[in-house]
Amino acid sequence: MTATPGGMESQLVIAPMVVVLLTAVVSLLLSRRPRARAAVSMAGGAAYAVAVGAIDWYIVLAPDAPGIATYQVGDWPAPFGITLVADGLSAFMLTMVAVLGVASLVFSTRHLPGGQGRSYYFPLFHFLALGVTGAFLTGDLFNLFVWFEVMLMASYVFVAYSGGPQHTRAAFWYVALNLLASAIFLLGVGGIYATTGTLNMADLARRLADPAAFGLDPVPVVGLLGLLLSVFAIKAGLVPFQFWIPTAYRAAPPQITALLAGATKKVGIYAIIRLSFTIFAGAEVAVDLPIPLLGLSIAGDSPLPFVGAALFLMAGASILVGGIGAVGRDSMEGVFAYSSIGQVGFIAIPVAIAATTTDPGLRELAIVAALVYALNHTLAKGLLFLAVGAVRSATGTSRFADLGGIASRSPPLAIAVFVGSLALVGIPPLSGFFGKFLVFEAAAKARAGPVLVLLLVGSLLTIAYVTRTWNQSFWGAQTDAVETATVDSVQVTVLVLLTATIVAVGVGFEPVYAFAEAAAEAALDTEGYVDAVDPIDASELDDLSGGDH
Amino acid sequence: MTGVVLAAAIGALFALGTFLLLRRDLIRVVWGLAIISQAANVYLLTMGGIAPATADSVPVLAGHGEHVPVTADPLVQALVLTAIVIGFGMTAFALVLSYRVYEEHDTLDVTELGDRE
Repeated sequence: MTATPGGMESQLVIAPMVVVLLTAVVSLLLSRRPRARAAVSMAGGAAYAVAVGAIDWYIVLAPDAPGIATYQVGDWPAPFGITLVADGLSAFMLTMVAVLGVASLVFSTRHLPGGQGRSYYFPLFHFLALGVTGAFLTGDLFNLFVWFEVMLMASYVFVAYSGGPQHTRAAFWYVALNLLASAIFLLGVGGIYATTGTLNMADLARRLADPAAFGLDPVPVVGLLGLLLSVFAIKAGLVPFQFWIPTAYRAAPPQITALLAGATKKVGIYAIIRLSFTIFAGAEVAVDLPIPLLGLSIAGDSPLPFVGAALFLMAGASILVGGIGAVGRDSMEGVFAYSSIGQVGFIAIPVAIAATTTDPGLRELAIVAALVYALNHTLAKGLLFLAVGAVRSATGTSRFADLGGIASRSPPLAIAVFVGSLALVGIPPLSGFFGKFLVFEAAAKARAGPVLVLLLVGSLLTIAYVTRTWNQSFWGAQTDAVETATVDSVQVTVLVLLTATIVAVGVGFEPVYAFAEAAAEAALDTEGYVDAVDPIDASELDDLSGGDH
Repeated sequence: MTGVVLAAAIGALFALGTFLLLRRDLIRVVWGLAIISQAANVYLLTMGGIAPATADSVPVLAGHGEHVPVTADPLVQALVLTAIVIGFGMTAFALVLSYRVYEEHDTLDVTELGDRE
């Protein structure tokens, strides 16, 4: 069963984008009226959450939900127009972003980071959300590039936002790296277009599954997918593309870094999952790549084994680099920035397991594990970066040397950081426990001994750095900066609510797991995706005109 | 012949862009990025087929089995147009950012920037 074109579900698909775009534009026009602008931003954030909730319910979770809905922009039939697709995977990702985005937005109303750009903070915030939302919903490869750029433009400004020497320098390298990544993205897109004759994702999946019928040679697609994966790995910050993360994350205001770690990073992960499993999994390409010295060979009949091998290496290195790097930092956001590198490794490991296994059950379990872990990372790391923001706006610093004894000064703030840290480590009954548990289960079922050892080492490193962070800033005697600090009540309320969310996800894990399972099924259901978008051939066109203009 | 010329042009652009990207001067780095973006655009255009176009040589038409009058591939031109606009905005932003870096650091030399932690 699919949604009827033009029905309510179809309109819902574009709703979050319209809401967030309107909010961005209106808040831009209100740049001289700070109160009105903040009110519009809040209303826009709430409307965005409602729109995403509606997508979740009516398209994915309701008893008679279609599971997937599409919106053809301008009523052009796919693959000739731009297609927007909302399925379980998109909805799951959007929900994570909506929760964290609203939290960060409320948090920002209380303490706007200083700088000359203050009046543009809210419009930029919404444009960042627009880019992320578009990337999750688009069903077109080139359109994905465009939404990446929208997201990046806003994040460039945020990295340079504070305007100091290290901020401008961090922003410059961040911009340079991403411009290069964009050029590589275009190379991948151009090559895939020349190879397959289409850029619509559903049309791509359909053609790659049956290359003979469409008269194309799918072999170059393996290398082109590699190009695209490297771009997505830059966005996700996997080793060897992790070097920009610490500087950029330290330079951006903490409440934005919460979004960069919680939302834009996940766009990279989402793109890897969507392209590898929904689009390219069915590609009929016999691959056989012997690895000298190890006596192994990468073999299969789709590009996935390549993806899996590359991801294993990148994710394994990320876990070690991130964990070891985080242990030795001297400020809270330094620790959490390096921690983000390691945690994305934990998300990528199950994706790699899913790509290398041939057992459909294990493949689905591994994707569920990746999604649940991603959800936990978004909530926990978002909470911790917001907590850094609260500490900074209260004490003016986040360096360990100047901090100590926050636990006695502001117990609620301390409890929030404590719970966020435990969620990162994976202590039951928090959301992190299930994420860790599922990742370990997937690795155990795949009989990947070395991977299990690596995950264990990564977990120990996590315990080491969160313990150190806690001891350095929350325990011990109060320093001067902490003694005179007053923590903003609204900020603490946001943190406490996010903490409650983390506990609630862990305690009431049943529905969350069901949602993640629906998302994983959607990610693996290439046929359902193609049927919903329903790309046609030109020979089926009666007249090449758009809809009711 | 056209193919060889275009391939050489794309290669030369990428080489020049990479060379500039690795220079010590920030402004040259921005130039390098701009040139690499343009190289990607030329590459995109060539991906649409560069022979005197017939309905068979244009991927979007050949793949969908419709016979049309002789034409160049319109899709890649739309893509390049979009990419040019985005690239233009980004280059402008990167230049402004280099100016801000100069204001903050009093230098545009990459090696000197890196030393000031």
